[in-house]
Amino acid sequence: MTAALLDVEEKVATAVREQLGGAVEEVKVERKGRISIVVRKETARDVAAWLHEMGFDHTVAVAGIDRLAEKRIEVIYFVSSFSRDDFKHIVLSLKVNLDRDNPSLQTLTPIWESANFFEREAYEMFGVNFEGHPNLQKLLLQDNWDGPPPLRKDFKIPEMA
Amino acid sequence: MRIMVKTDGDLIVEATPDIGYVHRGVEKIAESRNIIKNIPMVCRPNIADDSHLNWSYIAPIEELQGVEVPERGLYIRTILCEMNRIASHLYGMAIMGGVFSGHTTMYMFGFGDRELLLDLHEMLTGARMTFSFSVPGGVRRDLPKGFKEKLLDTLDYLEFHLPAIDRIFLSNPIFVERARNVGVLRKEDAIRLGVVGPVLRGSGVRCDVRKDAPYGAYDKLDFEIPTFKEGDSLSRWLVRFEEIKQSMAILRQAIRDIPKGPIARKVPIVIPRGEAISRIESARGEINHYIIGDGSDKPYRVKMNTGSFKNLLALPFLLKGVHIGDLPIIYGSLDYWPIEADR
Amino acid sequence: MSPAPGVWVGSLRHLVETVVGLPPFKHLVNWSRIYSLWPVHLTTACCSAEFGALMCPRYDPERFGMQAAAGSMRQSDLLIIEGTITKKMLKRVKVIWEQMPNPKYAIAMGDCACSGGLFHDSYSIINEVQKAIPIDIYVPGCPPRPEALLNAIIKLREKIRREEVYPK
Repeated sequence: MTAALLDVEEKVATAVREQLGGAVEEVKVERKGRISIVVRKETARDVAAWLHEMGFDHTVAVAGIDRLAEKRIEVIYFVSSFSRDDFKHIVLSLKVNLDRDNPSLQTLTPIWESANFFEREAYEMFGVNFEGHPNLQKLLLQDNWDGPPPLRKDFKIPEMA
Repeated sequence: MRIMVKTDGDLIVEATPDIGYVHRGVEKIAESRNIIKNIPMVCRPNIADDSHLNWSYIAPIEELQGVEVPERGLYIRTILCEMNRIASHLYGMAIMGGVFSGHTTMYMFGFGDRELLLDLHEMLTGARMTFSFSVPGGVRRDLPKGFKEKLLDTLDYLEFHLPAIDRIFLSNPIFVERARNVGVLRKEDAIRLGVVGPVLRGSGVRCDVRKDAPYGAYDKLDFEIPTFKEGDSLSRWLVRFEEIKQSMAILRQAIRDIPKGPIARKVPIVIPRGEAISRIESARGEINHYIIGDGSDKPYRVKMNTGSFKNLLALPFLLKGVHIGDLPIIYGSLDYWPIEADR
Repeated sequence: MSPAPGVWVGSLRHLVETVVGLPPFKHLVNWSRIYSLWPVHLTTACCSAEFGALMCPRYDPERFGMQAAAGSMRQSDLLIIEGTITKKMLKRVKVIWEQMPNPKYAIAMGDCACSGGLFHDSYSIINEVQKAIPIDIYVPGCPPRPEALLNAIIKLREKIRREEVYPK
């Protein structure tokens, strides 16, 4: 992959490193169209606001991951752009690591309204508390669900071969 | 899904969608099954759009394995996906133009024409709707003898029959009155809410993954992205109608230009360590699969996000302040597929 | 005795039920029932796409009297459970079943409705719908082809033809 093909991605990564500096822990250009940023939960909202200003105007998905071995829950916001033509092919992952026993994060819905239902799903599937979410309730599970969050690794379903 | 509506006389004050009635836990089950055995299950959320979900699930696995699908395999996947897109759009147009408008004529038109495409699907893959056709490395079968002639015959018939839909529905003042200026989604709101697919393109935003981040054979094919700027229900219906015509053009080019060669590469049934996300443009919008591999034959995590789930946020927004009689048309114009949203 | 319309009073009701249960009237009543089976299209999951395809011109169930009819449950006889029933949906399925007037029939369409199917190990579905609702015909398949569903409806018609008008 020549440098010219990754021009836009490298520019974004450089801008993140220069302007956000200590607020992010890691910036990486994985391949064409894929950039990943790791942030701390305290600075997630500021980084998100900066990204929104830069042109990443909507969330593509919000994924929760239960890293049981490392005792953390990772929440990833995948964002992209509809309005900037040069960013349309990029999916930027904003990764936040949370404590597994009490995962909580400030909601990013004031910045990306499209994350509303995605955060609700992460709440009920992993137990992540999104502080300040307008309507943090169950979305998909049955009304009287009383078990643990189902997508955590310690909740087992019968294994198939 | 259930829509809980608060009204003031005839006008809707607030609408809240209640979903989860078809939540089957696909993401959880996928973690305990072999990646090949996951394919039929991962495709079930949208049975009318099977090939797109299939490709979207396979793409991250191929990316992590570093395998390049042969050209012929990519062309065959593209052909199947475009046929599937036409069938799915006919389904969506039939439901909104027919059932939700209060009659069954468009329903019969849409489904009657769709049957011809299902015959083509069956000829190529062996099944009407549930193909499970793409595997890591390529596709399972080559084009059978006689497929090209039958495909071109079907396209000729569709070209002959689609103007009938134009004549009967689009010049029909009753249908146009019901859909014109109903449920208007402006461009800024569409971007802010993060909607995708025909809902986005009906609001004037020219975004389509096939052009923005081409995959498969799309970078070699010549087609347009129909966009309408009004943002009402009729525009969303028209986007689907025009996309059918574009898909027919793509199919003609693809079947003419398809190269000879192998259809698949043999790959081991393992997902290497790593993470990857795919972006595929299905009939209802962009779908993504984010897969984390841990070196075994079972994925560590499969995250699916589908067009209908992304478009869900538009429903309470659009229903505020409209007459309750407009609810079926607005709901139909979003082409919301509940099973895809709930996974 | 099955519930009867409110017009019959006491022994007059018993007399009418006995007469209608006799052969010429019984065949007439059953004939009219099988030629007007209106389904409730309970779109729970994927199989509904094949049910929708069944209602289209190629398979034409209207020649059997099955209309893709009006929305009300009170006017339907046949509940087709298409696909997986989740725990959240089960309460609503029971409500729909109770709203339908007698005589009513149920078809379980698809592997998921018969026994859990592809998702049998999920945390949120019901594997055995027959415990909540009495099923008359099971149609296997994932999804069953429209011809298979049509075959099921024909078998249901034969079953109704042999039935008592007022089952004990």
